[in-house]
Amino acid sequence: MKFSTNWIAELTDGGLATPAAGLAQLITTKTAEQEGVEAVGAHFAQVRAVRVIEAGPIPGSHNQRARIDTGAGEVTLVCGAPNCRAGLLTAWVPPGTTLDGGRAIGVAIVSGVESHGMLASGAELGINKDDDGVVELTDIAPGSPLDGLRPDHVIEVDNKSLTHRPDLWGHLGMAREVAAITGGRVKDPVDPARLPAAAPAPFSVEVADHTLCPRYSALLFENVKVGPSPLWVQHRLQSIGLNPINNIVDVTNLLLAELPQPTHAFDADKLQGSTIFVRRARAGEQIEALNQEIYTLDDQALVIADAAGPVALAGVIGGLDSGVTGTTTRIVFESANFQASSVRKTSSRLKVRTDASMRFEKAQDPHNTTRALARAVALLEAVCPGIRLVGGLIDNSAPLRTPPAIELPLDWLRRKLGRSVEASEVRAILEALAFGVTEAAPGVFTVTVPTWRATKDISIKEDLVEEVGRMLGYSSIPPTAPAVPATPPPADLERDYLHRLRSIATQQGFHEVYNYSFVNEPQVRELGLDPAAHVRVLNPIASDQDLLRTTLLIGILRNVRENARHLEEGRFFEIGYEIHKRAGELPDETPHLAAAVYAKAGDGTAGLLEAKRLAQCLAPGADVQVAAEARAIEHPRRAYEIVWRGETVGRIFEFHPKLVEVGRAAIVDLNLAVLQRLGQPAVRYSPLRRFPASDFDVSVITGLHTTAGEIQAQIAAHAGELFQSVEYVTQYRGAPLPPDRKSVSFRVTIASAAHTLSNDKISASREALMAALRTAGYELRG
Amino acid sequence: MMESQLAELKASALARIAAAASAAELEVIRVEVAGRKGSQLTELSKGMGKVPPVDKGRIGKLFNETKTAIESALDARQAAFADAALNARLDAEWFDLTVPPPGVRPGALHPITIIQKEIEDLFTSMGFTVLSGPEVETEFNNFDALNIPPDHPARDMQDTFWLEGGHLLRTHTSPVQVRGMQRLGPPLRMIAPGRVFRNEEVDPSHEHTFYQLEGMMVDREVSVAYLIYYMKTLLQGIFKREVTVRLRPGYFPFVEPGFELDIQCLLCGGKGCPVCKQSGWVELLPCGLVHPNVLRLGGIDPEQWNGFAFGLGLTRLAMMRYAIDDIRHLQGGDLRFLRQFA
Ligand SMILES: [Zn+2]
Repeated sequence: MKFSTNWIAELTDGGLATPAAGLAQLITTKTAEQEGVEAVGAHFAQVRAVRVIEAGPIPGSHNQRARIDTGAGEVTLVCGAPNCRAGLLTAWVPPGTTLDGGRAIGVAIVSGVESHGMLASGAELGINKDDDGVVELTDIAPGSPLDGLRPDHVIEVDNKSLTHRPDLWGHLGMAREVAAITGGRVKDPVDPARLPAAAPAPFSVEVADHTLCPRYSALLFENVKVGPSPLWVQHRLQSIGLNPINNIVDVTNLLLAELPQPTHAFDADKLQGSTIFVRRARAGEQIEALNQEIYTLDDQALVIADAAGPVALAGVIGGLDSGVTGTTTRIVFESANFQASSVRKTSSRLKVRTDASMRFEKAQDPHNTTRALARAVALLEAVCPGIRLVGGLIDNSAPLRTPPAIELPLDWLRRKLGRSVEASEVRAILEALAFGVTEAAPGVFTVTVPTWRATKDISIKEDLVEEVGRMLGYSSIPPTAPAVPATPPPADLERDYLHRLRSIATQQGFHEVYNYSFVNEPQVRELGLDPAAHVRVLNPIASDQDLLRTTLLIGILRNVRENARHLEEGRFFEIGYEIHKRAGELPDETPHLAAAVYAKAGDGTAGLLEAKRLAQCLAPGADVQVAAEARAIEHPRRAYEIVWRGETVGRIFEFHPKLVEVGRAAIVDLNLAVLQRLGQPAVRYSPLRRFPASDFDVSVITGLHTTAGEIQAQIAAHAGELFQSVEYVTQYRGAPLPPDRKSVSFRVTIASAAHTLSNDKISASREALMAALRTAGYELRG
Repeated sequence: MMESQLAELKASALARIAAAASAAELEVIRVEVAGRKGSQLTELSKGMGKVPPVDKGRIGKLFNETKTAIESALDARQAAFADAALNARLDAEWFDLTVPPPGVRPGALHPITIIQKEIEDLFTSMGFTVLSGPEVETEFNNFDALNIPPDHPARDMQDTFWLEGGHLLRTHTSPVQVRGMQRLGPPLRMIAPGRVFRNEEVDPSHEHTFYQLEGMMVDREVSVAYLIYYMKTLLQGIFKREVTVRLRPGYFPFVEPGFELDIQCLLCGGKGCPVCKQSGWVELLPCGLVHPNVLRLGGIDPEQWNGFAFGLGLTRLAMMRYAIDDIRHLQGGDLRFLRQFA
């Protein structure tokens, strides 16, 4: 929302002493966030009305050479406008003037002629968008400034910060704030006496549901002449971002930007019948709106209709057929109030947001409809000379509600703010903002809310804390440490756990990545998953982000591929949530850790071992088993399950070369919910041995696909009562072994709690173990 | 006779010792001159018996002096050879430790994790619990329970990703407030960091996925003055220096009154610069006193309890701290970016 400081000044008693930049700062700290101040029309301090004395063609050019009367002498200039002609009264920009946007006007040779300044179009002066010719003026003496056109500043305020303030969508509301901040007084531009005296209504209005339309007021005018508005009106609208259209529509926009009551003018001769209906649309009804779009309505939309059908989408946009045109002579001037949520629904369902719908969505004040009509009478007379009212006021209204009074205990207010404040100060602040204040009981105010703040904005005493607090200035509240018990907070075990895992992973050389929760069907299919098993986003930002991930591997695969473009190797991990669909309730969100070791060179085994080390750091003592079956995304011979404390907690594998074409990527994927549930093994000290342990080596010769883990388990199972531990030492392939055999060596440690083992005893243990292994089907060396 | 022989032996032995070229040569000299058997000294000592008794004391002393002089010369020379040998070995062991150590260098936490953890620790030290909530939320928790009923215009402020089944991707971490109130009951102090989603086009300064940290305190007496205290403490903890803050009105349906908290620009000290868009202030966090409707929906009696709540953009903080100029790096997974935070 853009605010003209000239306009605000007109609405405050005695105008405004504070310069625009300072004013914008005050508005930010006390009312709503301003996003910048722009000087608008500074050139109007120099621009003057002039008369063209003579104008003639310049040979070899489209331009004309014009001699003009500036009121202070004659000047020659070059003008390219087709309407530049002798006798024309127009606007002259003298040399030394800078136009909005920074264009500097000087003395220049144009088409071989020395040109002093320029004659300007409406667009060049920022009055409107008219660039077809120079401005045409009437009834003005050369040398005069242009009527009503003055340098102005426009303050832009963030719309989001006005969401709760229906009144601040117009200049009057902002003027009231400014007056309250600066100690001035607001001037109401509305003169209720301008409404017609009691007279028969010229037509009738039927409102089907007063919940959707609490009030519908209107006036009928005749002898209307549609044409451009005076330049000051056009400039005022243009400078706050509203396009000047014609005098009638411009008045509706002035009201919208001032009071801020949205209104609409119908061409009365295009309405069928003598009754206006406010009703829900019938499903399938159509309307072509002023924006030339055709909307097909459902039975939720509220419409204004005549005997033939919808003529406007209530509170959103008017219909094209019933709109004001150059030939209009009679108008129905509508000023109504519509339910905020109904307008919002219609506007968002039809995807048509207008200046009117934005205001109605904020819950406008029903008291304002007739005020706007009174103001409209005055404005229409000013911009449309000869216009006449027909009949009386049409006003179909539900009973207007008196806002309830709010009890405001001053002591409570002080405790909420955390500072002291005098009763008189509270009263002065509230009254400046048009609240009514009486002291019902000592120390308790009864506060009545102005109608324009009572629709949604203010209903409870907490709302008044804000009014008082912001006007006092929050900087006046001293930061205070509360007196609260110093108790350690309950821990979030999952969070602590995830932080610990992150720290371990980084120590192992892995970098943490964050990937999106969004994935798409091709990615899901590439991972061999079913898109239908994924939660679907109904309004994705792009079609390639329409599913929620059920695995972190999609992101990790992307990370591998993208980093492979720049790097020879890399290690990274993500901790994130898999989101799994569940019927009828929120999805299951399971924390996972996925990590990758990527290397462009090598056979990939080093990466797999690093992956295993990471898994074992995260789940100390976890074992790895060859997976019964490799998935399609996995290297068929390099897929493993991670087993910890009897449960499968994750998987290690190498991405299939079809997915990662250059280099190798070893992957760990751990289900952290299971991992955390299993818990870290409880550490329990075991006494140190009193007698030395002994060890011996055994080498087992097996087929190539027998795992060391399997043999090791067999050794542990057969090593007898003295067995302490077994460790993998090395493995060997080559002569003298046949090519399909390998030898795997282990070191077995045995010990007795009662004595030192004799050499005989050690040999006997070794022999017994070897015999047992042979019986179990293993071939042994040595 | 004996005297001159001793003097001669001493002179020749010392000369030979000094001239020895190696420890092995010195050992040969030691055996020849001072060995137990058949050495020059042993041979001379045999002549001691022929010395007249009157000279015995004097000559004996001279003999011992000569022997000691030769032996110390031998020892000294031997030590010199040992030193030289050690030095030669050490000299050969010159090592260039400017080469990198073997093994993998540690990885880095994600910059948002770093900031988040710091803030969690800060608040935990002030008695706040850290809570989590799901990324997929109900419409009730994300909106209604936060005083944003259907058709409230505030729903337009947060472009929402809607999911099948009527659920949504949370647009803020505020739903965790609701879960926190229900779980903990009053009094409570909690924060909730997490991933949030807005349906926005991605460009260098906008993301549809970003990170927030929500905080809430509910107690008997909670005032704007407390809120300012905690926010100042928080920001001084984050920026590790004295900060100047200001509150100004801000509208968020779940608080009343609601504020935007600005921090005086740390770059220009408030004079105005491009970072603060010449205003001297940087908007940092929305906050306010918890709306009584929100307390009520969280099962807390607003006549008995008060609260404040705030939201902090972790993504924004990370970008400020590390001067990251493109938000897309944070979820780009590029190791060249991530390695910088090790
Ligand atoms: Zn700055």
